[in-house]
Amino acid sequence: MDLLHNLYTGFTIALTWTNIFYCLVGVFFGQIVGVLPGIGAPTAIALLLPMTFTVNPTSALIMFAGIYYGVAYGGTITSVLINVPGESSTVMTCLDGYQMALKGRAGAALSIAAIGSWIAGTGSVIILMTFAPALAKFALRFGPSEYFALAAMAFGLLTVFGGEQPIKIVISTLIGLLLATIGLDIVSGLPRFAFGMPQLLGGIDFIVIICGIFGVAEVFNSIEEPEEGELIKQKMRLRDLFLTWEEWVASRWAIVRGSVIGFFIGMIPAGGITTASFLAYLAEKRYSKHPERFGTGAIEGVAAPESANNAASISGFAPLLALGIPGSPTTAVMLAGFMMWGIRPGPLLFQTKPDLVWGLIASMYIGNFLLLLMNIFLIPPFVAILRLPYTIIMGFIVIFASVGAYSVNNNIFDVWMMLGFGVLGYVMKKLEYPIVPLVLALVLGRLAENSLRQALTLSGGSLSIFFTRPISALFLCASILAYLTPVIRWAWKSMQRPKATVNT
Amino acid sequence: MWLADLIGGLAVLVLGFAVVFFSWQLPYMSEYGPGPGFLPRWIGFGIVGCALVVIIKVLRKHDKSGAFFKPLTKMGVKALILIIIAFLLFPLLGFSVGLGLFVGVSMRVMGKHGWISCGITAVVTAIAIHYIFAGWLSIPLPTGLIGW
Repeated sequence: MDLLHNLYTGFTIALTWTNIFYCLVGVFFGQIVGVLPGIGAPTAIALLLPMTFTVNPTSALIMFAGIYYGVAYGGTITSVLINVPGESSTVMTCLDGYQMALKGRAGAALSIAAIGSWIAGTGSVIILMTFAPALAKFALRFGPSEYFALAAMAFGLLTVFGGEQPIKIVISTLIGLLLATIGLDIVSGLPRFAFGMPQLLGGIDFIVIICGIFGVAEVFNSIEEPEEGELIKQKMRLRDLFLTWEEWVASRWAIVRGSVIGFFIGMIPAGGITTASFLAYLAEKRYSKHPERFGTGAIEGVAAPESANNAASISGFAPLLALGIPGSPTTAVMLAGFMMWGIRPGPLLFQTKPDLVWGLIASMYIGNFLLLLMNIFLIPPFVAILRLPYTIIMGFIVIFASVGAYSVNNNIFDVWMMLGFGVLGYVMKKLEYPIVPLVLALVLGRLAENSLRQALTLSGGSLSIFFTRPISALFLCASILAYLTPVIRWAWKSMQRPKATVNT
Repeated sequence: MWLADLIGGLAVLVLGFAVVFFSWQLPYMSEYGPGPGFLPRWIGFGIVGCALVVIIKVLRKHDKSGAFFKPLTKMGVKALILIIIAFLLFPLLGFSVGLGLFVGVSMRVMGKHGWISCGITAVVTAIAIHYIFAGWLSIPLPTGLIGW
């Protein structure tokens, strides 16, 4: 009954005209961002974050959440129609979505993506409603050692999910942690890495870094490697959007499986929506009786990853709201927003700010419904956005990044720093040092360090505190295992190689 | 790309040593537990260790193909120069006019759009920035000679 009462409260908040407006703006903007290659959800939210200083946090959060799951919908349009993923989370959709479009079934591909995303999104909100409060209750037992271990586990899992070069992931994580230590040490009051510059005593604001490393860096990367594809010139009528019975039968269980995979992957710190869609596609292919159809226009190949990425974008809120630990770069940027508004997400959030939590959760139903309508009736206008010259988009990104960085402290120094981080982000991407670990470490850095110091102070400097408390020990073991995964993988490959040589 | 990777690894190594050096000047332990230099020192050691692994991996790599600079890198450099010029002109032109001008000039230089459309976009952008950010959102953007 509590759940229904909370949901009712949430709807009374989400269904106010102001919040409906913010939700609509969020999903609309998210859809546009999803369509535009080279700008993702974290960039969009980072650029808009400083503009919401004066906005009610619940409304701002509803808008940002709308952007987050709206992006997953929008990225599908370019994946299907021009074979260019608007978002990394829709890469898998290109494989079969574009093939379907070539066969004249673009409408069906977009429909199943919208329907699958809606089912997955709505289903995930229902699970999130029951799961997140339970997780928050569980997290009330956490002390400093558990929080440090949890952060360590999040960093460790990045090496599993983060990409091909684990050592570079670790370097990125360490640089993020390093950036988080800049400024006055809150315990001793001593400046760290400030080099006598008063602007650095308060630390480098997260928004300054994020506007540079996501916003401006993306400008340089997109200019250098434009993602261009040929738009399929096919007139889409309303009836083309309807699915045939065979298509629906083929995709209904793919949606369910994709949703389940997406929900669980989205909850894992560092799991993310891209990993979710990738795994859902692979699972669907493995499960299929005709795996050879995948890559040639199988509708399940669109339904599964699309459902997964939307489910993951919703479930990613569970660790953020209940533990205060972001699972993805987008939720990491949102965590920065929480800090900016003076709200501390975590187990107590459900008790101290129920209006915010339940208003946000209820808004997800509304947002998903709005997106379903948009994706059925408004595809042509969104496709038209693709014709916008990149020089104009670049201009907008630079404007938002500059104003965003400036507005944090009303200081030009921050604008120059933002540009510096933009160049750093560009170089890092070129040299294949991933950005996401840096961002997660930057956001979690203070929490990790403070928890580590508190735990070691409590134990008199003994590391045993991390291993004698069961939850902390579990998280740390998971973290160690995660860090060892690349080594195990490498050893396994080395063992397999001689065998393969003998066989050939 | 091989050389760029190596230079990148060396830069990270230098960063790691710098972190170790500067963190050494901070107290490692305090009266109540770990001091302000505790985590930074371990971060420094971590960066040095990882950088060494990267450098060794690069040195052992046989495939030296791939280039750091691409045909369109020049355009990226152009964009960077335009951004720097716009930022340098802020004290003179102010934020709104400076960024408006940046949009117009970048459209002309990088997108080869016509002068008229570039000019109109620059003016509209400057007005929009002024009224949206400084007016509506009350962000006290720095003003230039014309008071915007």
